Amino acid sequence: MQRSINLILSATLTLACASAMAEGRPAEGRPAGAPAAAEAIHQHDHHDHALGQIMAPDGKPAAAAVQGKWQGREWTKYPLLTPMMGRVGDRAAATLAVKNLQPAVLEVFAAEGPADRLRRQFPVVPEGTPIEAVTPKIGNYHWVSAREEAEGKVTVASTAYFFGNPGVAPTKLLLQQKSELEIIPQPLPREHGAWRESEKWRFMVRFNGQPLANQTVKMETEFGTRTAFVSDEKGMATVLFPRDFKSAEQNERGGRHGGPRKAKFVLAAERDDGGKHYLTAFNYTYSPDSERDKSLLAGVGFGVFGMLLATPLLRRKKSENNHSAKEA
Amino acid sequence: MFKAIFSTLGRFRLFIQIVMLLLTVYGSNVVGFYMAEKVSNALPALSCAYDQQNGGYCVLIPTQHVLHHRIGEALVKAEQVTAQIVLPLVFTLITFFTFFFVLGKVFCGWVCPLGTIQELINKLGRRLNFPLRRFENGNVSRVRLVKWLMLIVLVLALPLLTGMGVTPHSLGNPYCDICPSRIATTLLTGSTEQMALRTGDGITFALGAIANTLVGFMLVAALAVRQPFCRICPMLSFNATFQRLSPMRLVKKQHDKCDKCGVCAKACPMDIHEIAREHGAKAYHEDCTLCGRCVEFCPDDGVIQMKWGPVTLFKSSREYYKQRMKGEMPDGTLKAVATSRKPAVESENA
Ligand code: SF4
Ligand code: SF4
Repeated sequence: MQRSINLILSATLTLACASAMAEGRPAEGRPAGAPAAAEAIHQHDHHDHALGQIMAPDGKPAAAAVQGKWQGREWTKYPLLTPMMGRVGDRAAATLAVKNLQPAVLEVFAAEGPADRLRRQFPVVPEGTPIEAVTPKIGNYHWVSAREEAEGKVTVASTAYFFGNPGVAPTKLLLQQKSELEIIPQPLPREHGAWRESEKWRFMVRFNGQPLANQTVKMETEFGTRTAFVSDEKGMATVLFPRDFKSAEQNERGGRHGGPRKAKFVLAAERDDGGKHYLTAFNYTYSPDSERDKSLLAGVGFGVFGMLLATPLLRRKKSENNHSAKEA
Repeated sequence: MFKAIFSTLGRFRLFIQIVMLLLTVYGSNVVGFYMAEKVSNALPALSCAYDQQNGGYCVLIPTQHVLHHRIGEALVKAEQVTAQIVLPLVFTLITFFTFFFVLGKVFCGWVCPLGTIQELINKLGRRLNFPLRRFENGNVSRVRLVKWLMLIVLVLALPLLTGMGVTPHSLGNPYCDICPSRIATTLLTGSTEQMALRTGDGITFALGAIANTLVGFMLVAALAVRQPFCRICPMLSFNATFQRLSPMRLVKKQHDKCDKCGVCAKACPMDIHEIAREHGAKAYHEDCTLCGRCVEFCPDDGVIQMKWGPVTLFKSSREYYKQRMKGEMPDGTLKAVATSRKPAVESENA
């Protein structure tokens, strides 16, 4: 049995690989040799739970598409960097829109790659600024920021962009100093994961690389929540993502098959120092609570049903008592 | 020192199992939070990727994903099942095999969190003196077929057909959708998120209902049946496909006394009757999880061995057998429980 099944399995896998190798035409925009395991964990729409974040059919994070569509709406005065629709099939490039700020360039920081490309500048284009991953083969999270300094005011917008391809974890990248006043997610959502409504996540606030205690961090979301958090003595602000998705919004954004449901939020901190006013914002997206369209009661019900099905196995018959005694 | 702490192979395995359970279920606290920091994204054990605190991901999730989103979708476009399309699957298999080559099916018997959970529950069952249900020769071969069906249908065929647009979208990841490890490991992290059923379309709900029924059944059945889920686990058949390619293996010599003895088969948590009857390659069965219990409970010197290539890691011996039998019967019943039961049974019979 095993041998014949093994044969079939091995033959199928070998055939698939062989036919592929024979054709061997590289698909456009897809870097060769990208370790699969990492990229292979992408989930689909209906797995909106654990790994959750969702790729559009073209392989770009679908958040980009959603954000692009919605970006006309004014919901905050803070500066924002938001992804727009990208080139189809190109995982190593993205286009960002800048709002409420007039920077000359976007700076993109990578976690690994050739030294001269770890920190690059891309001139801002009004209709959308194209940015790239450090190399076509290295993706994962990149940090993007934009800075404007005028009349004693230093304003910084920042976000993270996830290029689908694999790359090292962004732990060090996040802690590298990139501006005077910083709001740093600790951590970012796990690759293909998401920050969700009702969850608490930590953000570090720093000034010139030093954690800022008792710093107010304001939060604004696309759905109108306005709230604030204060950092602790280690500079950590624990942010509670508001439960502000409305069912109407969920429907509008497509349910299970219409694409992911995501909304934008921004965190902002302000500080005066040395005669200058610093304002730094970090914006990204969050998702609905994964239990919104789920039923725990039904889940527990079926679990108990399974348990009941198994209980006859636990009953000891008289004959078994004898048997067990004999064995003992 | 080592011997003083781990007086038996069983104890040593239990220790490794607990460490691996902690690593696979809560390991992100050690290895790191991000996917790039995990031990691997293609482990040969059910270390569930839906568990936000895990230390590694099981190979079945990228396999389903690539078949669905890359190969299936490319096949339907009919143009280009190119190297680029299949490379992710090749890399997944290479990553898997890097681990599997070293430890082989030890991933089942020593590493898998779901294997450990079932084993711990069965230990509890032995302590509470629930009856032990064993699969007899005929039944066991029927059950063995199921794990191949699980692999072929749920892990390989349905994701591929879904990618090709033949089956509905909600069947793109069907094994994960019914996997008891997804629910058991997330419950261990205190999250009921995976326990809750998605109420979207009928198929999604049905898959979730199957998963929850399965996990409920498994948790209770494990009190009376050893490794109830392992017997139908597609990871076991996935590993069985490659088991001859790893130097880690079980070796059994022909031995005249086996016909009358059969203690090793009683010790086997997977009810592999062949371990007593056969020798050579046939004794290292597709269902073997390399737990090593048969080696521990074989009463004759050197008849069964666990080997890595030419190196013997552990072999049966009369001395060891005598010592092992002091604490536990081959079927896992604790000596203390077995003896304390005796009077009760006698009075029941009287
Ligand atoms: S057979 Fe058992 S031990 Fe092996 S992967 Fe499956 S659940 Fe885990
Ligand atoms: S044959 Fe031996 S090593 Fe394999 S599962 Fe059975 S008892 Fe464990």
